[in-house]
Amino acid sequence: MKVPVTWLREYVDFDLPVEELARRLVFTSCEVDRVVRRGVADGNGNLELFLVGKVLEAEKHPDADRLQLTKVDVGEGEPRSIVCGAWNFGAGATVAVALPGAVLPNGLTLERRKVRGEVSDGMILAEDEVDLGTDHSGIMLLDPEHEPGTPLAEVLPLGDTVLEIETGYNRPDLTSIYGIAREVSALLNVPLAPMPGVQDSGPVPNDEAVDIRIEDFERCPRYIGRLFRGVRVGDSPHWLKARLLGAGMRPISNVVDVTNYVMLALGNPLHAFDHAKLAESRIVVRRAREGETIRTLDGAERTLTSEELVIADAERPVAVAGIMGGEESEVSADTQTVLLEAANFEQLGVLRSGERLHMRSESQTRWEKGVAPELAEPAANYATQLLDELTGARWTGHADVKAEFSERPFIRLRPARAQEVVGIPIEETDQRERLIRLGFDVDPEWNVDTPYWRARDVKREIDLVEEVARFHLEEVPPTLPTREELFGQLTREQRLRRLVADVLVGCGYFEAYTYSLQADDPHPDALVLPEPLSELQRVLRTTLLYGLIGAARHNVNVGTEDVALFEIAHVYLATGEPLPNEPWHLGGIVRGDFYRAKGAVEQVFSALKLESRFERAPHPFMPSPASAAVEGGWVSQLDPRLLEGEWSAFELDLPELFAQVPERVLYEDVITYPPVRQDLAFSVPEEVSAGELVAAAREAAGPELREMRAFDVYHGEQVGPKRKSIAFAVTFQSPERTLSDEDATRLRTAVVEALAARFGAELRA
Amino acid sequence: MNVDQQGESTTVDWQQYESDAQQAIVAASTAGELDDARVHYLGRKGDLAQALRAVRDRESGMLLNGIRARLETAVDARRAAIENEELQRLYAKSSFDVTLPGETPQRGRLHILTQVKREIEDVFLGMGFEVYEGGEVTDTWHNFDALTTDPGHPSRSPTDTFYLSDDVLLRTHTSPDQIRLMESRQPPIYAIMPGRCYRRDTPDATHSPTFLQVESLVVDRGITLSDLKGVVLHFFRALFGPEREVRMRTSYFPFTEPSVEFDVTCFLCNGQGCAVCKHSGWIEMGGAGWVDPDVFRNVGYDPEVWSGFAFGLGIERIAMLRHGLGDLRLFWENDVRMLEQF
Repeated sequence: MKVPVTWLREYVDFDLPVEELARRLVFTSCEVDRVVRRGVADGNGNLELFLVGKVLEAEKHPDADRLQLTKVDVGEGEPRSIVCGAWNFGAGATVAVALPGAVLPNGLTLERRKVRGEVSDGMILAEDEVDLGTDHSGIMLLDPEHEPGTPLAEVLPLGDTVLEIETGYNRPDLTSIYGIAREVSALLNVPLAPMPGVQDSGPVPNDEAVDIRIEDFERCPRYIGRLFRGVRVGDSPHWLKARLLGAGMRPISNVVDVTNYVMLALGNPLHAFDHAKLAESRIVVRRAREGETIRTLDGAERTLTSEELVIADAERPVAVAGIMGGEESEVSADTQTVLLEAANFEQLGVLRSGERLHMRSESQTRWEKGVAPELAEPAANYATQLLDELTGARWTGHADVKAEFSERPFIRLRPARAQEVVGIPIEETDQRERLIRLGFDVDPEWNVDTPYWRARDVKREIDLVEEVARFHLEEVPPTLPTREELFGQLTREQRLRRLVADVLVGCGYFEAYTYSLQADDPHPDALVLPEPLSELQRVLRTTLLYGLIGAARHNVNVGTEDVALFEIAHVYLATGEPLPNEPWHLGGIVRGDFYRAKGAVEQVFSALKLESRFERAPHPFMPSPASAAVEGGWVSQLDPRLLEGEWSAFELDLPELFAQVPERVLYEDVITYPPVRQDLAFSVPEEVSAGELVAAAREAAGPELREMRAFDVYHGEQVGPKRKSIAFAVTFQSPERTLSDEDATRLRTAVVEALAARFGAELRA
Repeated sequence: MNVDQQGESTTVDWQQYESDAQQAIVAASTAGELDDARVHYLGRKGDLAQALRAVRDRESGMLLNGIRARLETAVDARRAAIENEELQRLYAKSSFDVTLPGETPQRGRLHILTQVKREIEDVFLGMGFEVYEGGEVTDTWHNFDALTTDPGHPSRSPTDTFYLSDDVLLRTHTSPDQIRLMESRQPPIYAIMPGRCYRRDTPDATHSPTFLQVESLVVDRGITLSDLKGVVLHFFRALFGPEREVRMRTSYFPFTEPSVEFDVTCFLCNGQGCAVCKHSGWIEMGGAGWVDPDVFRNVGYDPEVWSGFAFGLGIERIAMLRHGLGDLRLFWENDVRMLEQF
């Protein structure tokens, strides 16, 4: 929201610089994004170059049909020649003049120059040229009572400073200039002017009835309708246009501008209907009928559902409640009778309607924060006063239909609570004054009445504590909690997860972060978002594979050759319960064959002090025969249709692995007694795997077979058809004694015989 | 001097012997020549060794042992010198280019987000906090209701939040873990909760539908906003340097009261004002506050006994600020050329 400072000062006076005010508001009240100057720049004497002028002569430029040649008195004795493109004035007009050297709001510096041979020694201003409006069809005509040479800044609001603020969801009161003024008053402990519309309501007329009916009091707890006759629709005065522009809204017409002005001033959105366009002169606040349509002020034709609250006349909707009016009942230049709406709409209803209809408006953003229904009355009063002043309208009718409002909170405050929350003492007088400035009633026993504009947000003692605490945040010193118990270490699973990541980094893998939401997933029960953001992020993954494939593909596409990636993240497995199981998985992908991926997995197992047993197993969604199952997961050559070239991948369920990790590692004596090393090569049938041979050998030789590792596989004539030779490096060792030659022979024989018996293995040389 | 007590053998001039030996040692220019000299003067068959074997009186023994020790020292010194000269000769022949690249073992990297996350975890572990991890799929109770988010709060809208059903959603912040942790046990609690969160934001340079947050929660007796500020200050000093200062500004979150926003003095310009801090000298870092008493009631804690604070921030934001990364999408692209820089 944009807060023109001259407007703010109408309600609260302060003598610190605007920048300092902005700095302090940031701590106590709201974010201030920027402090900007709008309109004509002040400084370097620029403002003094804008003067009131009296047109002495005006005639057509001799060499240009569209230009006027004028002589303008700007109080200098000698009139100035000015060439002007507008024709909405003649001799005798009082106008706004900028002299050569003046810098306009758009950054342009005026110069004395010749226009088609005639000297132009200044410029007669249109309102858009000094940010006082949007009209460029003619120049501004000023009240003739102003003397030529009067500084223009005394006559028109030429420039202003504007605070651009952001207000929180809990502060509907701050979406108004008066609300900001109230904060400034509490912050600086300075007086606040009475709220406009509170004191000067005047006698309520009873000339004619206003027909207002509310069918849904929950969505619309209040509707004040006021009738105005003899309205003269026209332009707003410059002061009002300047304020609207300063607050970021476009001036439209005096009637519409008044509704917007009051909304900005007080925070209660208003609407004006052309009364003549309302069927049977009636207002009905009701749910839309299914399929009913309305053309809204933005020109869009909208189809409504019964969820939408509308303002209707006797026949059709004339506004989407709280969001936007309809085009047909819009106030136009011909409008003579206006029905002013000062209502209250419930926040959730407006929020949901806005979402359903994809609409955004200034009024909507206020209703969504929850405006109090009490505010409608001062808003109606203030608008009445302005319509009377600016349009010559006569207030002739009034109706106020309302539900029972919820009771205002009544709270008992313990002033000592503030220190318990903030950590520093806050004087009782300080707390009391602050609350009173903010509009709370505080009795001597600290019973506190919340004002209606804060009733939604301040209901409990802690809310009052915040109201006083927020003015002291700058003073709070840093302390540390006094601990009676200390803990603070990673869990076993967290430590092991770090270990696994570090091992893979050591293996040359880069860690990737890929999306939990994927386009698809091979698991039939994978959880699918009913309303995804895009088809690419639709399913909660049960495997990390596809994210990694995407990341690998990206790297290949940008020309990176050797890619090895891993990820540690949740997968989401449906359980039948409302919430899925979310185990941490480790996934990896690497350019290269099966064994490259397997090597990394072996390193992970080794680091976890786990033995890995790989078994050839068909992969659920990978067709390659190079696919193995291992405890907690799989390793496989990648389907080449997923990614071009030779790639391999793996995935492990970490909690399943971690459950088997030994609590502690016990030292094995491999130093005292020397090992016996031998190379043994066996010829075996093609289908026998190295893993099966090792398992059988272990079973036969017992723990004294310390290691047996395949290091060569040979196919060829020497082993015959359908057979292969596997060479193993074998280590025999005992932790208790030195193995003798006889021991080694015995162990070796046990291995050889077992493999021969089980697999028809023949020991080669 | 006569060593031979029987007077049968020759007499040796030991002074001359030592001087000859020293000369021979010094004259040796290769390891072989030195060894010859050593064998000749100090070897088992040399005069000195034989005389030592035959020695009977203490005086002669001391004399001869002295000679032997000095000669052995000289041999060792000469050997070291010769080895050194040989190495020098060898090295003098080669010109070695030390600027050629070393052999590169394959080294991967932790993702920069993991590096930052670990660093954050380690700072808090050092302050005696634990790391708590809950689920990313949660229910409206943990994500909103228990955190006293009112029914009209915009974050509940399906235009902001990914729902799996009316009651189940992808968490929009790490705060549901606060509730889970408090539901699971009694105070005191000193914990941080890092993890993935989800919001319906169309991805661009500053928005990502998936993002990482870390949140801290303290529940103990007598915890104040002042304690919050102290912990936050320590954290940012650990992360961004000991000169950092922090400030709290008023803010609004449904589950803290009072709520504050944290700024830290800009570590790039030291608060002087630069593009990163938008010339304010301060960088917005995250939201925090004193835990709302109703949140304690929702998990069965007595708010008159227990008090606490919570504070949360974006992990990507810290990584971006610190490492000059300008686009959130870089984190999810996993381009090795980016990853390997960290």
